[in-house]
Amino acid sequence: MSPESQAPHWEWYYIAMYFYIGGISAGAYFIGSLVELLGKDRLREVSRAAYYLAFPLICITPVLLIADLGRPFRFWHLFYYTKDGVPYMNYTSPLSVGTWALLIYSIMSFLSFMNMLVADGKLTSPFIKKLHDIFSRIPHKVYTAVGSFFGFFVAGYTGVLLNTTSRPLWEATDPVIGALFIASAASTGAAAIAVVMAWQNIQAEEAFNRIEVFDRTALIIEFVLIALMVVVAGQYARPLVTGFYGILFLGGTVVLGIIIPLWLGWSGRRPGSAFNPVMLNAVLVLFGGALLRISLVQAGQMK
Amino acid sequence: RWPLKAKTEHGAILMHVDPRFTRTSALCDIHVPIRAGTDITFLGAIISHVINSKRWNTDPFFREYVANYTNAATLVNPDFKDTEDLNGLFSGMSEDGKAYSNATWSYQRNPAPAPSVTEAKTFTDLLLQKIPGRPKTDRTLKDPHTVFQIVKRHYKRYTPEMVEKICGCPKEKFLQVADTLLNNSGRDKTSNIVYAVGWTQHTVGVQIIRTAGMLQALLGNIGRPGGGVLALRGHATIQGSTDIATLYHSLPGYLNMPDARKNHDTFKDFILTESVPLSTSYWGNYPKFAVSYFKAQWGDAATKENNYGYDYHPKITGDHSHLPMFVDMMDGKIKGFFVMGQNPAVGGQNARFQRKALAKLDWMVVRDYFETETSAFWRNSPEVTEGEVKSSDIKTEVFFLPAAMVSEMEGSFTNTQRLLQQHEKAADPPADARSDVWFTYRLGKQLKKMYADSTTDRDWAIKNLFWEYDPEPAEVAGFRIKDEPSAYKLLKEINGYNWSDKKPLPSFANLKEDGTTVCGAWIYTGVIPEEGVNKARNRHGDDWISPNWGFAWPANRHIMYNRASADVQGRPWSEKKKLVYWDPKGEFKDPTGKIIIGKWVSPSGEGIDFQPTKAPNFRGKDNGIAFDWLSGNDPFIMRADGKAWLFAPAGLVDGPLPAHYEPYESPVQNLLYKQQANPVAKTWKIPGNPYHDVADPKYPIVVSTYRLTEHHLTGVMTRWLPWLAELMPELFCEISPELAAEKGIKNAEYMTIETARGRIQARALVTRRMRPFLINGKTVHEIGLPWHWGWQAQAAGDVVNNLSALVADPNVTIHEGKVFTCNVQAGKRGGAA
Amino acid sequence: MTKGMFVDTSICTGCKACQVACKEWNGLPGEPSHFHTVPDRPYRVAKNFTGNSYDNTGNLSATDWRHVRFIEQFNENRTEARWLFASDSCKHCNDAGCLNACPVKAIVRTDMGNVNVQQDVCIGCKYCIPSCPYGVISFSEQTGTVHKCTLCNDRIHNGLGTACAKACPTGSISFGEVAELKKNADARLAQLKKLGLANANIYGYNEAGGLNVFYLFIDDPSVYGQPKNPVVPQRRLFRSAALTVVTAIAVAAAAIISFRERGQQKNKGVKP
Ligand SMILES: Nc1nc2c(c(=O)[nH]1)N[C@H]1C(S)=C(S)[C@@H](COP(=O)(O)OP(=O)(O)OC[C@H]3O[C@@H](n4cnc5c(=O)[nH]c(N)nc54)[C@H](O)[C@@H]3O)O[C@H]1N2
Ligand SMILES: Nc1nc2c(c(=O)[nH]1)N[C@H]1C(S)=C(S)[C@@H](COP(=O)(O)OP(=O)(O)OC[C@H]3O[C@@H](n4cnc5c(=O)[nH]c(N)nc54)[C@H](O)[C@@H]3O)O[C@H]1N2
Ligand code: SF4
Ligand code: SF4
Ligand code: SF4
Ligand code: SF4
Ligand code: SF4
Ligand SMILES: [Mo]
Repeated sequence: MSPESQAPHWEWYYIAMYFYIGGISAGAYFIGSLVELLGKDRLREVSRAAYYLAFPLICITPVLLIADLGRPFRFWHLFYYTKDGVPYMNYTSPLSVGTWALLIYSIMSFLSFMNMLVADGKLTSPFIKKLHDIFSRIPHKVYTAVGSFFGFFVAGYTGVLLNTTSRPLWEATDPVIGALFIASAASTGAAAIAVVMAWQNIQAEEAFNRIEVFDRTALIIEFVLIALMVVVAGQYARPLVTGFYGILFLGGTVVLGIIIPLWLGWSGRRPGSAFNPVMLNAVLVLFGGALLRISLVQAGQMK
Repeated sequence: RWPLKAKTEHGAILMHVDPRFTRTSALCDIHVPIRAGTDITFLGAIISHVINSKRWNTDPFFREYVANYTNAATLVNPDFKDTEDLNGLFSGMSEDGKAYSNATWSYQRNPAPAPSVTEAKTFTDLLLQKIPGRPKTDRTLKDPHTVFQIVKRHYKRYTPEMVEKICGCPKEKFLQVADTLLNNSGRDKTSNIVYAVGWTQHTVGVQIIRTAGMLQALLGNIGRPGGGVLALRGHATIQGSTDIATLYHSLPGYLNMPDARKNHDTFKDFILTESVPLSTSYWGNYPKFAVSYFKAQWGDAATKENNYGYDYHPKITGDHSHLPMFVDMMDGKIKGFFVMGQNPAVGGQNARFQRKALAKLDWMVVRDYFETETSAFWRNSPEVTEGEVKSSDIKTEVFFLPAAMVSEMEGSFTNTQRLLQQHEKAADPPADARSDVWFTYRLGKQLKKMYADSTTDRDWAIKNLFWEYDPEPAEVAGFRIKDEPSAYKLLKEINGYNWSDKKPLPSFANLKEDGTTVCGAWIYTGVIPEEGVNKARNRHGDDWISPNWGFAWPANRHIMYNRASADVQGRPWSEKKKLVYWDPKGEFKDPTGKIIIGKWVSPSGEGIDFQPTKAPNFRGKDNGIAFDWLSGNDPFIMRADGKAWLFAPAGLVDGPLPAHYEPYESPVQNLLYKQQANPVAKTWKIPGNPYHDVADPKYPIVVSTYRLTEHHLTGVMTRWLPWLAELMPELFCEISPELAAEKGIKNAEYMTIETARGRIQARALVTRRMRPFLINGKTVHEIGLPWHWGWQAQAAGDVVNNLSALVADPNVTIHEGKVFTCNVQAGKRGGAA
Repeated sequence: MTKGMFVDTSICTGCKACQVACKEWNGLPGEPSHFHTVPDRPYRVAKNFTGNSYDNTGNLSATDWRHVRFIEQFNENRTEARWLFASDSCKHCNDAGCLNACPVKAIVRTDMGNVNVQQDVCIGCKYCIPSCPYGVISFSEQTGTVHKCTLCNDRIHNGLGTACAKACPTGSISFGEVAELKKNADARLAQLKKLGLANANIYGYNEAGGLNVFYLFIDDPSVYGQPKNPVVPQRRLFRSAALTVVTAIAVAAAAIISFRERGQQKNKGVKP
């Protein structure tokens, strides 16, 4: 462990939020595309909501990412090495690989997004139509697949990025954070879809149930990984499980974001209980996911 | 660097004696903590331990060296009474107990020889008529009146136990040091002792250093490679500035200043008073040095008829050193003041007193780089900001002139081992900044102009001052400032030259007392042996003495009295410690070209500090002076008897032997004598300078002041520099956890230190590097204050010297900044936490 | 051709000349956070007294590329009394975490083996900062980029030694060919061991792929604030990525189960 290693002083409202929103987008997109691939018409609404979510959300992330740079206007160096005048990627740097993945994912999610618009006849501008026609030559499934793949990447690399540093907490929790972020991306992605659908009050009883099932699975995986993480980190987990971030993490992420939803979900389905927790659950899960990123990113930077 | 090289490459043992554990201690093999102001006890006990040791009494080396090269064998006046007899006083104390007469400290002498000259044409003739008889000696060192027996008795009670009681350092540590020194001295080993102001800044400063000198003489560590007592002098070229006499009481080359209190009425009186007592040493040439000096002042105007201008030369009327000068200033006796390269508002003892004295001046000129505390005292000194003094009431007119930095002028540094090194001018100073030489030269010219047509006799000195150092065009080529005085011309005058043909003199042996030679400072003669050659520029080092690196005065002798590096027969003491030795077959060509067989040789190229052809067995002429009187086994050629003085018959006002006196302010009684402190210490019992009583319950804590690597002195050259300011940003006080706990002082928080002179606040640095001392069963706490701070600059802090007092050593009036008493408490000066 | 520095802390006097020389040569200002403005003072005044021995600069930063540590080791009755000094800087690692982490190739290694930040390339993402196991590289608000010791890149590529080594009065810092320096280091280590300093050790031979700036310590590296067994973070990249992928697959599986054709037995997805 490197007690003397320095913190990057990343701002939670930029970096943690970037990790978070990127995760939701990717999670949602993946679910959406999977449902589409499984080709179930009854769940069409799910993919629809997913695609409408994924792209706008991912559009926010670069803004956050760049806003935290010391030299924002040089962000393009991430793709292009001026000295040699060629595109550049550093394989040993999750950040480098990740941003490329982000780029590809963004394009894919954009295409799916456009696709939806067109399908819903919301697009009339002839230009976009033309564009869409061109891309439609590629079967949609291909780029949803590609998109989902890189979506996972986007969701996961942020965690790997934290793990492959020398900050005691991040180093000690290695190799769990990446995995954890994947799980969290899935749960929050699903939750987000649920929220959108509920808010658009789309009546799709089965869709909701299945999302909920999936969400529960994800939450359980997430819970297991968190337990694992705290165990491997041992003493170095202190900043995460004590003090301010202890409250955010244990109280927010674990209790509000995981245990309560699981419990509600469970009790909610007991025969006779009228109360349907979908909306509340989803909101809690989203909330927990946000706190997960914030507490991990910030606690890792404490002196 | 070099001590560490010695340690890592040659396994030298480094021992550090210091109340605190410092960065130096950290690098030494042994650190010995002793209570501040108790070094004489420590060293005296080593002397006693050494001369009573088996090794010292069995190894013939010590006996041969001590009996022949020191005055151990010399018999002292039977009337002499030691501190052992008079409980802390020597014989000769005046009725009022204020001053000693050294009459009884004299040697027993044979009858004076018959003079070799009858009529006195020259000063030299005069000296030849006044030669004293040779001192009586007992080479067996048995006679109770021998210096050796006196010394032995004197330090009898300086035992390891006494060291433990007085210095508060464990007996074992003391013995470790004493034995290491002893075992590391002898035929093929030498030890040296290095000191600086930890020893000087005491009311017994001079005597502490003498004790070290005695110890080294007894160990045969003087005049030999690797031996000696080395002063680490402070300011850049502070050595040079003493050589060329910034000291009020001396003329360049350590001639004495004409003094209205002595019999200096005429030039003849001056010469006789100063040189008769020394005539049997190399000082027998005093007249030549003196005449050449006066000739240098007034050139052609200085003639035999007008005593070379002696009568126009200023005379001192008393002690005009720093402290008395400020006392006079306070009394309004001083109207104007030039401050060039000093910041007494911070560096001066009882700085509050000194700043108030500045307010009594009519005018003050400060030449510096930054607005020093001294130049700003009238507007924002603590007295002013605290409302004690009103700026509007201060009439002193302050002129602040920008000074040039050392790199902005050419000149030479003389460092602590008397080595002159020339440095170039790198660039012109900015804007109106000028060197001090430029300023002083201009001032002189101006004065000469103003007095040019004065007819009054007293202006003779200014009118006739020989003052011509205008640069040659080549010297200022490439610089903006064209009237910077010529560094070469100045050094040439200091070196000396023939007045007639202006040819530089290769050696002080060429000096004359007939006014045909001029010489600013005889000890420097030889640095410019011939026109255009400046040895201070030499830069050829080797891995030892490096005779071709710079120029070491006198005559490029790096190790003074190096005749002592050979035994009585002139053979090297040992192969390992070979330096200068006698070659019976060596051929020496004297200036006339005559060949003389037998000479001293020095393979290393080291200058020989002895007469080149005087055989070891040569017996000095009883009726000769200078070299003629000195024998072949008298290495200490500047001493009237050619010996190293264990016992000082003259030259010291506070006793011929160092005795332990407590610091003037001390929390404990003197355990050795009834006499508590130095009986003749200089004190000023005047308003604004109160002292603490012995063991004063109000001020139970010992405080010592010292330096940090990160800052320089009063900090003007460092506290304005962000790079250094951030390294040591604020005044702090080093204090032991024990005392801190007792006083509720917390690390890094503020604490207040108080004396009868003032109160200051400092950040506390609680550290085990400071320790309480157990003094005769009583715990004595000591705190440490680095004193670099003032209220100006980017690293600001209270002025430590607001605490200290005007009290000084009687010989050289050095203050006792290294030890006084105080009290401490938690929180800021104002009382706030 | 690999140049580096050997820091023999056993002969360091804690004089900080190296720290100042570094700032002087590289034109670095006083660390801004060390100064504050004071009423009626036209200049900034230092305020960074720490109370931590003689160390007031605390750590390496974008403007402090060198830092001398002061470690006081004294027991209650001072029978054990030791004050250790050690001058620290960038180690110019053979396998440099900072360099590995940089997404834009702002950090490069020169032909002399030193690791440098190209100020005109750095985008200030700060990812290199936590990626340095020794807390060396630091961000500057002033430039929006990161800074650290360059091994005096300009000097060494013009035949000079490093400024800090040049200024060091005791030779505690020496600059040269790494191979050469290692010889001296081994010799000095042997010497100290002979003198009975059992804990004396050389830090930087094997640590994290070897450091071109290495140290002779006379106590445990952790005493000097150096990581005991530093790991270059990227060496753990695969592990971390692998688990992530596994999880991804697990999640995918879960998804397929949840959304597959026969939606009836949804409960199978989970064990409540
Ligand atoms: N960086 C830097 N270097 C300097 C200077 C500077 O200001 N800064 N100043 C220069 C000048 S002008 C000078 S004169 C020299 C002075 O050089 P030093 O003499 O080294 O100066 P100090 O640090 O004042 O005192 C040295 C030590 O004496 C110890 N001491 C105090 N009282 C006693 C005592 O009674 N006995 C003994 N044995 N030790 C005692 C103190 O604890 C201190 O550690 O340094 C010169 N060099
Ligand atoms: N309590 C306590 N007091 C002490 C001491 C102590 O140990 N304890 N130490 C004493 C000692 S050893 C000394 S030497 C004194 C030092 O006391 P000072 O000599 O008063 O202190 P410095 O800071 O050396 O002042 C030198 C000034 O000269 C300026 N200067 C530098 N170069 C030049 C130049 O070429 N021309 C001109 N005109 N100015 C120049 C600098 O900027 C600085 O302001 O302090 C003494 N005071
Ligand atoms: S020490 Fe840190 S900053 Fe220096 S090269 Fe190694 S990883 Fe990079
Ligand atoms: S801050 Fe600059 S040097 Fe560091 S990783 Fe980011 S771009 Fe590279
Ligand atoms: S090598 Fe150069 S840049 Fe690095 S610490 Fe030393 S001086 Fe500073
Ligand atoms: S310059 Fe050398 S001796 Fe001084 S602190 Fe730096 S490394 Fe140590
Ligand atoms: S100032 Fe520093 S570098 Fe210069 S001689 Fe003194 S100690 Fe050495
Ligand atoms: Mo000094």
